Amino acid sequence: MKKVIFFVPFIIVTGSLFAQKKITTSATIKFDASTSLDNLPKAENKTVIASINTTTGELAFEAAVKSFAFANPTMQGHFNGSAWLDSDKYPTFTYKGAITDISSVNFAKDGTYTVKTEGLLTVKGTGQKLATPATIVIKDGIITESADFSIKLSDFGITGAPIDGGKVSKEPKISITAELK
Amino acid sequence: MVEKAKKRRPWIKRILIGILVIVVILGGIYWYVATEKFSDTKVRKAAYTLNALDFIREFQQNTNAANQKYTDKIITLNGKVAEIEAADTTLNIKFIDPATASYAIFAFQQQHLAEAKTIKIGDSISIKGSCSGGIYSEIKEATAINFQRSALNK
Repeated sequence: MKKVIFFVPFIIVTGSLFAQKKITTSATIKFDASTSLDNLPKAENKTVIASINTTTGELAFEAAVKSFAFANPTMQGHFNGSAWLDSDKYPTFTYKGAITDISSVNFAKDGTYTVKTEGLLTVKGTGQKLATPATIVIKDGIITESADFSIKLSDFGITGAPIDGGKVSKEPKISITAELK
Repeated sequence: MVEKAKKRRPWIKRILIGILVIVVILGGIYWYVATEKFSDTKVRKAAYTLNALDFIREFQQNTNAANQKYTDKIITLNGKVAEIEAADTTLNIKFIDPATASYAIFAFQQQHLAEAKTIKIGDSISIKGSCSGGIYSEIKEATAINFQRSALNK
């Protein structure tokens, strides 16, 4: 009994040291749906919430749709409007997933790792599986994760004349970067 | 026959001039929309000026009502900087309610990015930005209120 009393706090303390969930509220998502006909539909959101669990490899993102900043006010209005992202009704993009080969990453050592990730991306209330490679850079205890991929707008129920007419890309490029301490 | 053709010409001219006028108007509208930019936040008048913690607490008490009141408006918040975070190649600054970890975060407008680097944790500042609303974050288990196109309010 004495041994149990001694070891339980020890396990809790060591567990909390190594089961690290790191969070930032300043991850960046860049969205580029520009085409040769229109250079305007691109934006970035620099206040994305992101987390990584360095023990389990779990990853998560939450991005407020209204925080995607376009250079052009009219384009930003269209992006948030009911025909596009309908940000009043669906205020966030979310991603919940994991690094599938987490054992290949040594978070205690500086280095660059290319990993596989799988998860569920939810846009406009519709969830779609997303499998994409990502890069993890570890330097001086800071983890920088990044990924580049594209999505099909029609998979998330986003359609319309500008997309059919080639003014908005059917498969916008998405870039995510998060610096986690 | 020749007289008939002469009579038609004024109409053809008018139609062509009308089409030209429409094309010029549509071109002007397209040019205006395509080159339109957000104005400098620094010179815009704030719809509300508030203490940062009071503002955050208003969102915590009723996020929907606060979103309706403040979203897409220019807001000035006064408070102590609690955190500075790297955001891509720039920095974001945050006011945080220590009781709940709910926060307001400011991403700077392109022409004011350098201002972010002059701010330190603990500084009392007045900052103005376009409020893009608040959400409840499952990751942070707190309310997050985002601002875009921010500038120090001097």
